[in-house]
Amino acid sequence: MSEPSAPEADLAPGATEATPEAGPEVEWHRLSPRNLLINPVKVVGQFAVPAVIALVGVSQGDRGLPWWAAPFVVVGALALGAVPWLTTFYRTTPTQFQVRSGLLNKTMKTAPLDRVRSVDLEASLLHRVVGLSKVQVGTGVDDDRITLDSVSTEQAATLRQFLLARRAPTTVPSDQPTGQPIGQPTGQPAGDGPVGTGELSGVPPEPGRVLAEIDWAWLRFAPFSLARLVVLAAAVGALSQFGDQLPIADTAQSAWGWVHQFALYLVVLGLLVGGLVSWVMVAVTGYVVQWWNMRLTREAGSLHLTAGLFTTRSITVEEQRVRGVEMKEPVLLRLVGGAELSTLATGVGSGGVTAILPPCPVGVARDVGADVLETATPMGVPLVAHGPAARRRTWIRHLWGVLVVTAIPLVASIWVDLPWWLPVLVGVVSLALAGLGAEAAYRHLGHAATPDHVVVGSGELTRVRTVLEHDGIIGWVVHQTFFQRRLSLATLTATTAAGAERVVARDIPLPAAIRLADASTPGVLTAFLA
Amino acid sequence: MSQAPADQTDHERGEARPATAVALREPAHQVSPRAVTYWRVSALVAAVVEWAIVIPVYVFVLPVVFEDPARPWWTTAILVVSLVAPLVHLLLMPQLRFRVHRWEVTPTAIHTRAGWIDIESRVAPLSRVQTVDSTQGALMRVFGLASLTVTTASAAGPITIDCLDRDVAQRLVAELTEVTGASEGDAT
Repeated sequence: MSEPSAPEADLAPGATEATPEAGPEVEWHRLSPRNLLINPVKVVGQFAVPAVIALVGVSQGDRGLPWWAAPFVVVGALALGAVPWLTTFYRTTPTQFQVRSGLLNKTMKTAPLDRVRSVDLEASLLHRVVGLSKVQVGTGVDDDRITLDSVSTEQAATLRQFLLARRAPTTVPSDQPTGQPIGQPTGQPAGDGPVGTGELSGVPPEPGRVLAEIDWAWLRFAPFSLARLVVLAAAVGALSQFGDQLPIADTAQSAWGWVHQFALYLVVLGLLVGGLVSWVMVAVTGYVVQWWNMRLTREAGSLHLTAGLFTTRSITVEEQRVRGVEMKEPVLLRLVGGAELSTLATGVGSGGVTAILPPCPVGVARDVGADVLETATPMGVPLVAHGPAARRRTWIRHLWGVLVVTAIPLVASIWVDLPWWLPVLVGVVSLALAGLGAEAAYRHLGHAATPDHVVVGSGELTRVRTVLEHDGIIGWVVHQTFFQRRLSLATLTATTAAGAERVVARDIPLPAAIRLADASTPGVLTAFLA
Repeated sequence: MSQAPADQTDHERGEARPATAVALREPAHQVSPRAVTYWRVSALVAAVVEWAIVIPVYVFVLPVVFEDPARPWWTTAILVVSLVAPLVHLLLMPQLRFRVHRWEVTPTAIHTRAGWIDIESRVAPLSRVQTVDSTQGALMRVFGLASLTVTTASAAGPITIDCLDRDVAQRLVAELTEVTGASEGDAT
């Protein structure tokens, strides 16, 4: 953690240090004064519901807030809104990024500049109206990130540039995978020891190479990605919460009478079409809002993603922290040839998994994945199947579910009079479903070893291909259940600090597991091989 | 995987590995023999607690629930199973577990094996180790045992050696701390 040399300090954020020489006397900066415009709105937003309840609800009673309380609420909001601006200061010293804040409880957060791993900018609609951005700085392996809410957008951009350019060489050697170095504009030596991005700080930042941009033809994939179904369900749920208070019951009754005039199949058809149309609308709107202007670039040894229609996000991850990628093909999306791509990184918060592409054609996901990994092999290499024993295990595991599901109506029929065919029907249907699930789960199983990466296939309905860099592996777990032992199978887990912190190859033949592990981390297992 | 040259069976670090290396050998050391007694006693404690709940329920609660002193046959079956199962567990488990639990620390890596029905082997290079802890429960202290846990930067990767001899654990903690303190980087 040697500190970068002092002369680089002149790249400090806009209008910062006139005195570049090091030292603790570097002056502190406030957040943008424009926060004074939006913070009261946010405060009011936070307290809106309780405030309205207090004002309206209570004033109907005897001891309500009198009308003259309203100005106090406004003044209170203004005062509370001003607190962050009054009490938050930040600065960059030659070695550290520091933020101190708090009115009563003072906190001081510091990030050594050479530990800065990610800098994310986020601007909600409110922020964008007044030209502000929230800055989040991630360091090392901690999930705790330093947040500056908010500085002006220009300042945020400069700060980002500065923080990322000032990273000193890390001490982990040979972190960069060799592979084909795809046109790197940064002068970063791929596959060659510590990466000297620190030396770049004198050079003006280069625009970077675009890896992917939104293509609105991809919008066709939006309805096939069910991730937003949760949103729709939540909306319906929220509506039904209010349902009791709304005069829906009467309306519904008269509506039902009206509906009853039509044939039932028409009603069902109408409901289906209505549901489908609203689903497509929600999906497409969500897609557009989230991925508007999506742009993935590589600059100065970092991956940089910007997207968003109302809230713009700008996520930057140091490429050394990107330990791999994960391509997911959910069953619906796979039908239409779509896929999603995420990076697995350390020290970026939010579970370390960052979606870097919207649902898009599987070829695009594969290409961008190859660009990110700087080698095409892991995204395309055919996976080695885990064999008949693994298929048997997968089937048996799924058939247990059938047993349980079928047992329920059987047991119930002891007490309740059930038609004889019901358990049979349940059994047959669940058997068919389990068979489909088992076969799909087995087909998605697989593994492969490439010169720099471990590739693992998994997933049941969703086909998942996880690629993890060898250097990102920090240990192995070989787990064998009683039944796996009899079949000489194992569940191999590569532990890592990136992403979900584990990459699991289920039901892999034991010899293959050991070979894969040994090939991926040369020397680690050598002493323990039989 | 391509075939590596055969007959390079030496286990030198960093050298080409034998093509036939398809299994992990068992780690060199066993845990403390006193662990067997410790596991048995803790299984006994758990069993006694379970019996103390199950038997009164069978004797006093069930007749009230079914309003009939002659309880249904299947409750008796459940009772028998819940009485016998802990007994089998505490008779079989400690020996099996003792046979499986093994550990080994080389200058570069740590390797453990644990479990008795499911068996799990864990390997981590010492260069990626972040913390080394030793813990001792009250009962473990009675038997002079200690557990050692080594964590890495992955939440999936802590490695625990259960029930070491207390002195061995202390020596191991000192050794591991020294080795891991010497490695550079943030071990991610």
